[in-house]
Amino acid sequence: MKNLKSFWAKTLIFLSVMGPGIITANVDNDAGGITTYSVAGAHFGYALIWSFVPIIIALVIIQEMCSRMAVVTGKGLADLIREEFGVRVTFYAMVVLVFSNIFNTISEFAGIAASAELFGISKYLLVPVCALFVWWLIVKGTYKSVEKVFLAACLFYVCYIVSGFLSKPDWKTVASSSISPSFHFDQAYIFMLIGVVGTTIAPWMQFYQQSSVVEKGIRIENYKYSRLDVIIGAFVVNIIAIFIVIVCANTLFIHGIRIETAKDAALALKPLAGQYCFYLFAFGLLNASVFSACILPLSTAYSVCEGMGWEIGVNRTFKEAPQFYSLYTAIIAIGAAIILIPGVKLVPIMLVSQATNGILLPFVLIFMLLLVNNKRLMGKYTNSKFYNFCTILIILIMIILSLILFITAFIH
Amino acid sequence: MNIFNQAFQKNISAAKMFIFFSRLMDRPVFDNQDREIGEIYDIVVKPSQVYPLSHGLIIRKGFPNRKYALIDWKDIEKLDKDEARLKIDKSKIVFGEIHDERKELTLRRDILDQQVVDTHNHKVIRVNDIQLLAVEQALMIAHVDIGTRGLFRRLGFERSVDWAVKIFNPKAKYLSDERLISWKYIQPLTINPVSMTIKIDVPQKNLANIPAADLGDIFLDLNAKHQIALFKSLNLANKTKIFTNIDFKTQHSILNEMNDLEISELLNNIPSDEATDFLEKLPREKTKHILNLIENKYSRRLSQLLGYSGDSAGGLMTTEYIAFTKETTVQSALDQIREFKFKSEPAQFIYIIDETHHLLSATNFRRLILANPQEPILNSAFPKTYFVHLDSSVKEVAYLMEKYKYFAIPVVDESNVLQGIITVDDILSQLISFAWRRLKKIKIIQKI
Repeated sequence: MKNLKSFWAKTLIFLSVMGPGIITANVDNDAGGITTYSVAGAHFGYALIWSFVPIIIALVIIQEMCSRMAVVTGKGLADLIREEFGVRVTFYAMVVLVFSNIFNTISEFAGIAASAELFGISKYLLVPVCALFVWWLIVKGTYKSVEKVFLAACLFYVCYIVSGFLSKPDWKTVASSSISPSFHFDQAYIFMLIGVVGTTIAPWMQFYQQSSVVEKGIRIENYKYSRLDVIIGAFVVNIIAIFIVIVCANTLFIHGIRIETAKDAALALKPLAGQYCFYLFAFGLLNASVFSACILPLSTAYSVCEGMGWEIGVNRTFKEAPQFYSLYTAIIAIGAAIILIPGVKLVPIMLVSQATNGILLPFVLIFMLLLVNNKRLMGKYTNSKFYNFCTILIILIMIILSLILFITAFIH
Repeated sequence: MNIFNQAFQKNISAAKMFIFFSRLMDRPVFDNQDREIGEIYDIVVKPSQVYPLSHGLIIRKGFPNRKYALIDWKDIEKLDKDEARLKIDKSKIVFGEIHDERKELTLRRDILDQQVVDTHNHKVIRVNDIQLLAVEQALMIAHVDIGTRGLFRRLGFERSVDWAVKIFNPKAKYLSDERLISWKYIQPLTINPVSMTIKIDVPQKNLANIPAADLGDIFLDLNAKHQIALFKSLNLANKTKIFTNIDFKTQHSILNEMNDLEISELLNNIPSDEATDFLEKLPREKTKHILNLIENKYSRRLSQLLGYSGDSAGGLMTTEYIAFTKETTVQSALDQIREFKFKSEPAQFIYIIDETHHLLSATNFRRLILANPQEPILNSAFPKTYFVHLDSSVKEVAYLMEKYKYFAIPVVDESNVLQGIITVDDILSQLISFAWRRLKKIKIIQKI
């Protein structure tokens, strides 16, 4: 009886701490992520599924550091960078972050426009409506209400799992290919692998996760629940990614259909997997795009205001935090407006966003490593030697991959 | 310190005597033989005065293996925006690896880019730059810069941005708008790694002058670590003030960091209505534990109050009030009021009771002062006194208070024994949360 009681007490604490990790991880499956996974599934079948296992580990290790720093220091990542590395470094990091997130936001609105076409709605209607909704949500909401909406959006990712089942995959092959790594030394395969891994850890995620843990005011004695939040988030996001790969592998790959975007994938699914699968896939894209179009500008405004020492807050009014809301509004407005320009080319936008992410990520990861090992800030909560070894390994791999992505972005 | 003497001789205007710390940072340092030995990294200050004076210079050399050395201020020959010159020889300077474990306040580690409390504007701010004043033989912290211009100065864009702004609007507000805040209002938030407290430079009186609600708001703007450190560093009066003006979550996390002695000291000094507000939200076992720590008489009263439901008169009332028996003379009542120490500000009413604490009537200060000092207090009472019962609803209480224009209304039990009073501020906060469910809107109203 007592055990049951303490179980419920623990569940209750977890529910109150839950949020930042799951939300941050889920935004990973944004319009860009869905595109990458669809293409991976359509072109290589199940051959890339094994890579999601190391991705889960990397994601947990990196995001856990952010959430630990947030709980121990009570400060956001931009705050800490400003306080420990000075204003100059912070300023340039923030300039690149704003730049890269503007381009990321544009690609989210591109995802909204694509799903508008899939549903047969004019994008000139759906994009402004979504932009207004996203803006209204933050400007009029409080942190608590916004987080609830975000968690609800995370639930809608289930539609990818349902569409995965609808495509009736061969589960034996899925299981065996996720355990045994298969590696092909062919250029297209390697690039696809880099693409899949590269979209997993983005610079803005670290800033967003840390700030939202701080905003939640999680205390050190509840930290283990916060870690659970991160772990669950990493698993959920990758399971959904695996299902996207499964859907495309099981239908498009078998029939040898080549695709370029998530929209192509959805359209190709219609005759192969049926109408429901198509609608679920399209709805998943819309949900992911709107969700990320909300979080990206929010995270940018948060980080910049933290770093520059301006008033922040979802809980404040426009008058109290003018820079915060101006930045947030401007990024949404730019993102939505560029997509509405007739005949705009999306490929260069994607490339710029990849390139800026690639420049910023090494710096952010190195800053994180230095900060998390700073005794004055972290006390006894610094990384252990083994943890540091793993982290440095992951960081090195991530830096090399993002540099390759960065270089190829220019070669193309 | 030649530079300062020269400055006086050449009659340079007072403005030139101010120098920004950002202008000194990373400037080269030379020894008495003109050999470069490193660059200016940080300045150590003596925190004893209102305006701290420079005490030592930390210089840095080497990259990527940085080394640091502390130079005593009296060994400095000259220091300006171009360079620093020392009186001593290179060989006498000892470089070490560590620089940030010093106990004294240093500008770069503790103030620049950090958050500090502005006790004048009641805000938590981030420091973009520090303005120093050259006084004899030393530099004094005069102001901190929190403006955008300070930000551009740090980035090295000040001149180009100034120039660009001048082209568009030579009278732009930006050019004259120096957001400097005098050091006497600044409270740094450096946490001492040993005692885990914050050294309060600004006299506690300065903090005490901030209205309680604003102090609570400042406090909520800090992060959890700073909240706890600052709270521990305050005196009891300020602690009480902050504790009664923050949300439950923060109260709880602070309480977790205190030992039993500190808890009992704090809770003994908090008015009963605030204390019950807090205690009733805690888990039952914790409440019991805390009640055991509190003074016997007070804890009995609190546990009684905790028995009433939160939105009934019994749950809202405070047990701090002034009451006298009916035979007391006006003179002795006034004398006793002067000697009393009340935890909360008692509303203007004085209650008159019999020997067994039954409520008879009420009077107020005005009536008491105008009355004949020798007469019994009952003669100065209102002709009729209205009251509510322990189980009266908030609406009933509010209705009666509005109708009879009371600032406080007495609460009695079924046999008419006085139990406590409800003051207008408690009712008002209840009514506001009735009317506006969302805290955010209340904040907007406050700003207007």
